Amino acid sequence: MHVSSIILFFIQKGLPFETVILLLMLPVIATLIALLRQVVGVKAFGIYTPLIVTFAFLATNGLKYGITIFLSVIIIGMLMRFILKPFRLLYLPRVAIMLTAVAVLTLGVLALGGDLHRTGLAAVSIFPILIMITIVEKFVAVQIEKGTKAAVLLATETLFISIVGFFIASSETLIRFIASYPWVILVTVPINITLGKWTGLRISEYFRFKEILKHL
Amino acid sequence: MFEFFKKINTYHKISKQILGMNARNLAYIRPFNLARAKRLADDKLLSKKVLVKNNLPVPHLIARIKTLEELENFDWQKLPEGFALKPNRGFGGEGIVVVYGKKKNREDAWIKADRSLLTIEDIKTHIRNILDGSYSLSGTPDTAFFEERLQLLKLFKPYSFKGIPDIRVIVFNKVPVMAMLRLPTRASSGKANLQQGAIGLGIDLATGTTTSAVQGKSTMVEYVPGTRLLLSGIKIPYWNDILKMAVRAQEISGLGFLGADIAIDKARGPVIVELNARPGLSIQIANLAGLKKRLQKVSDLKIKTLEKGIRVGKDLFGGEIEEELEEISGKKVIGTVEKVKLIGKDGKEVEVEAKIDTGADWSSIDNELAKQLGFAATVEEFDKLKRPYDEIKDLSKEQRWNIFKDVSDISATIPVRSSHGFTYRPMITLTIQIDKTPITTRVTLIDRSHLTYPLIVGKYNLRKFLIDVNK
Repeated sequence: MHVSSIILFFIQKGLPFETVILLLMLPVIATLIALLRQVVGVKAFGIYTPLIVTFAFLATNGLKYGITIFLSVIIIGMLMRFILKPFRLLYLPRVAIMLTAVAVLTLGVLALGGDLHRTGLAAVSIFPILIMITIVEKFVAVQIEKGTKAAVLLATETLFISIVGFFIASSETLIRFIASYPWVILVTVPINITLGKWTGLRISEYFRFKEILKHL
Repeated sequence: MFEFFKKINTYHKISKQILGMNARNLAYIRPFNLARAKRLADDKLLSKKVLVKNNLPVPHLIARIKTLEELENFDWQKLPEGFALKPNRGFGGEGIVVVYGKKKNREDAWIKADRSLLTIEDIKTHIRNILDGSYSLSGTPDTAFFEERLQLLKLFKPYSFKGIPDIRVIVFNKVPVMAMLRLPTRASSGKANLQQGAIGLGIDLATGTTTSAVQGKSTMVEYVPGTRLLLSGIKIPYWNDILKMAVRAQEISGLGFLGADIAIDKARGPVIVELNARPGLSIQIANLAGLKKRLQKVSDLKIKTLEKGIRVGKDLFGGEIEEELEEISGKKVIGTVEKVKLIGKDGKEVEVEAKIDTGADWSSIDNELAKQLGFAATVEEFDKLKRPYDEIKDLSKEQRWNIFKDVSDISATIPVRSSHGFTYRPMITLTIQIDKTPITTRVTLIDRSHLTYPLIVGKYNLRKFLIDVNK
């Protein structure tokens, strides 16, 4: 593989190749998320959550374990909301209890994975798991503000973006390309300037306003 | 491939008319709603204060609670039978609790819209959540306040479920550009929030009459759910006042692109409930019209006075009701006096003003007009044979016809009881063209020279029309 001299420089300084590539992937994934939001209309929980989940997926051993953990976290979060509702707790203590439950139950899911000889699940490193547990706060916040339906929709969109991001960031071709031409990531700046000035309808809005279309 | 380009083309066309999220944020909210104005809109208590100062009606403030200490020392007896409890910086109607009356024989409990009980303890917990920022835009600590509960207008009673409907008016450059009536439904559990399943009704800006309706995000509906009550055609009272208040609120608040929420109280009339710096886009679906085009239309205008702004809004964005009515019923709307074209013998055409008269069965035209249309011979020959009514009234149809059958171009004869008294009239066949719809029919001939209109159109020829007496 041809590696650019600037990347070789970082490697000489002792940085692992994977770390350098991951950092260079960050603007690419962020731009992808911006593009999906502004042009396609996929919302997700802001930009940070899908980004961090993408990287959590990259850090788990394979996508399926990442998705399993993500889904269990969301489902547990949803259940806990209904369990905690009658107690009428204030926001932060409530989220704290929820996080506790998610943490305990995630342990359970991991142990179950071990039981079913899905050793890959148990071998997932702790950081991606922690990252995904924190999604529960985002989820709860949206659930309070906009209701469970909206929260589930946003979680689904987040999952979708993260999966797309995962495939892009783990693409051998792209990794090789960025390794050879790392400066190319600067192209994301003009792309984002264009996106930031984009006033066209989002693709999702063509569907949202389809009733008006018939009358124009 | 061709299909694909056609699709691209329609997309391009509609993206010029419909306001999307990107354009709303970048082209309208950013440049026209400056930070200070946004802060005013997001702070309900502050906007209430500013509006009151400028003599605009708002729901009366009962009390506010800023801290936990104030909450502990609050005098609950101060609260009336009905009230609304709101978070100051809430949005989308979240965190609002409305009670309708005190529970009988209890000093510490009220009744909510769904008849469930709300105790002082419940209120306290809710206020603690508000103070904590659970319902505020950015999760920052907030203030809770009580305000008077608005009374539902009798007119709206059959249309709304538990809550109170409100009217959203979008104002831009002092011109009201689009409006929507929001009805709370069972699905929205009494909240006037479209996202939660309330019904949004488009409003004809000129008349304040509702047009099309959307429930939730994009389901078009015609009736109040579960009933046969038509949603279109509701005439909103105080329409002019509502538009005036909305435009005035824009002037005061400095929000260039404003969504004003106005509710109508049974006793007080219209009051401004809320100012919105980020009005939603669903109003376009309710109106089946694009906001972008409307905003562009008024953006270059120099509007000096409030009245002018309202007039411009009404002229530019009103009057669509009629077209819609025509679309729904398949009938054209005409006035009581219409210009019609008559096509007589040998294609002779005359254009005249006609009186649309649902009291008459047949249409009838003036003798002079008949002559112009090539029926001079008919008029003259009939006059020669004419006899007093009494002489022919007892004759059978056939006997009558035998007398007149040789009159040229005569189609029939008919006894008519009208303002002329009883008369016996000849009928000819011609084509009347009303609002571009040609109708070939028999018409009676009579001397109308002393009357204003040389032609009346009777109900046999009006089956394809609806008559608007205001036109």
